[in-house]
Amino acid sequence: MSILPLHFDREVSLLEALKGVTLDRLQRVLSRTLGHRWQIIGADGVRVLGTDIAHVTESSIAVPLRIDIDVAGQLVASDAPRAQVEAAGAWIEMLLAASSRYRMASDIHLEAMHADFETLQRQHAALQASESKYRELSEQLNQRVQSQVDVIDKAQRQLYQAEKMASIGSLAAGMAHEINNPIGFIRSNLATASRYVLLLTEAFENMHDEFRLPAGARRDDIDFALTDFPSLLKESMSGADRIARIVANLKAFANVDCLTDGDIDMNEVVQAATTILADQLPSSVVLKTDLQPLPHIPGDRARLNQALFAIMQNARQALDERGGVIRVTSCVMNNQIHVDVHDSGHGIRSEILSRIFDPFFTTRDVGSGTGLGLTVSRDIIAAHQGHIAVHSIENVGTTFTIVLPIQIDMDVPQYEEDHR
Amino acid sequence: MADLNEARNQLTAKLVFYGPALSGKTTNLTRLHDLLAPELIGDMMMLETEGDRTLFFDLFPFGFTAPSGLLIKMKVFTVPGQIMHDGTRKAVLSRSDGVIFVADSQRNQAINNAASFENLIGNIGTVGIDIQNFPLVVQFNKRDLPDILSETEILARWSATNWPLFFASAMAGNGVLDTFNALLDGLYSNLDKKFRLETEHGLSRAMFISAARGKR
Repeated sequence: MSILPLHFDREVSLLEALKGVTLDRLQRVLSRTLGHRWQIIGADGVRVLGTDIAHVTESSIAVPLRIDIDVAGQLVASDAPRAQVEAAGAWIEMLLAASSRYRMASDIHLEAMHADFETLQRQHAALQASESKYRELSEQLNQRVQSQVDVIDKAQRQLYQAEKMASIGSLAAGMAHEINNPIGFIRSNLATASRYVLLLTEAFENMHDEFRLPAGARRDDIDFALTDFPSLLKESMSGADRIARIVANLKAFANVDCLTDGDIDMNEVVQAATTILADQLPSSVVLKTDLQPLPHIPGDRARLNQALFAIMQNARQALDERGGVIRVTSCVMNNQIHVDVHDSGHGIRSEILSRIFDPFFTTRDVGSGTGLGLTVSRDIIAAHQGHIAVHSIENVGTTFTIVLPIQIDMDVPQYEEDHR
Repeated sequence: MADLNEARNQLTAKLVFYGPALSGKTTNLTRLHDLLAPELIGDMMMLETEGDRTLFFDLFPFGFTAPSGLLIKMKVFTVPGQIMHDGTRKAVLSRSDGVIFVADSQRNQAINNAASFENLIGNIGTVGIDIQNFPLVVQFNKRDLPDILSETEILARWSATNWPLFFASAMAGNGVLDTFNALLDGLYSNLDKKFRLETEHGLSRAMFISAARGKR
């Protein structure tokens, strides 16, 4: 309420005090009592009612008009006897008393309403303030719930991936054990066989003259067999070695052997991942590495391996049957370790570039990709206080850059928290 | 706040009887009207409902002239005690120059007294009166009734405050004048400080109080 009501207890003029009175009627009634020459004058000397002041003479009779104890004006009459003027004055005073009583009651009513209204407004403002406080609180609560949900989501993803890796790991460990035994005796037997072939070749050359060939056998064929046999064995040996290496890599990748965390060399991680990837690559794909010496950083070797491998696998899948180049480089820049995985593949369309780290987002056919590889990679790198950047040009290639700080504050148990 | 009208050479002060419902504020005012005989004495203006409960206020105006010719007008009001009339209480209380808080001595009224006094202190702040220099007198009324708090109990509770405390039976008129004179005493201090009643108007503290009392 912008307009303040008038104070009920203010001093009022005679005219204002007569506000509730019908002045025409009062004038008629007074004229009947006092004749035509009379007037009511306010305390300021201004005529309020009655005929013009010009007729006031020495013989006029004046009586004061009081409101409470204040003389608010006077009644002057020239044609009436004193008793009559005094009586009329008393009547007017009664009228004034009743009228001011009414005015004060109505004015205080307005003032009281105003005061009540102001109280209500204050209460309203206080309520609004508390409402907005609760609204804010509920928003904060929502945010906290949302962030908790995110943490749980993330933990679930990593658990899913970890379990997958664990089952691959135990499978790999079992397979490695089963394959290593036969590979062991195959290799040992092949080595022994090589020595036997040497002996046979020597013996055959020394016995050249006395030796009689069985019927149908040609000397050329035997010479050829003796020459070819060592290379066959050699090829088989290298095949067996390759199997052994694959098994070893599989074990290393699944981290069956290495479970301890500590200072690690990212280049070793890169090498472990590239070795396993190299075995899967068709001949049309060239895998190059350019690794600069890196300082060791604290971290989880198995998880970093997993993260890097997922990115490299992505690079491989970006290359179609025509093949291309995958280049992995590492270096130190701005006191941070940078590992770049570049492929010359089809690139990532700009409209989906922002979504590639989203969980369950995949461009592969149903059943061939979980849509979790990059999500988990990003989480793992983030857990090492690093980040992944991606730069892609369609039909030219894609570069993923893993950036890891050299000073990882291991007191911040972010990684642990995300997993438990 | 007391208001000096230089054109009409008059000073108007406003005094208020405050307190819980039915504690005897109107009775105090009526007795005052009977007991005082100042130079100018107005009629009691009462605005009450059928149950003799004050609706808006009661008003008793009186006045006297200082030796300098200054007319000193007093408007003594009561507020409605019922809780719902808080807006009216604020309107009556605003611009006032002193308050008599009329408490009900009956044992079962202690809570109402406390609530009303708290309301008074709150409203004094709301209407912008500085309570530090505000004349406030406390009267425990209805001393003639049974089952009332003893004077010892009341003094124990109120002696820590520096407000003058009086006991009264307004119905019989006892204590009404003492309470009112204590308020006039506080009022005189304020008015004298602001308007130099003694030095400029020749009105001493004793004259001020006896002029209000009048000759009867």
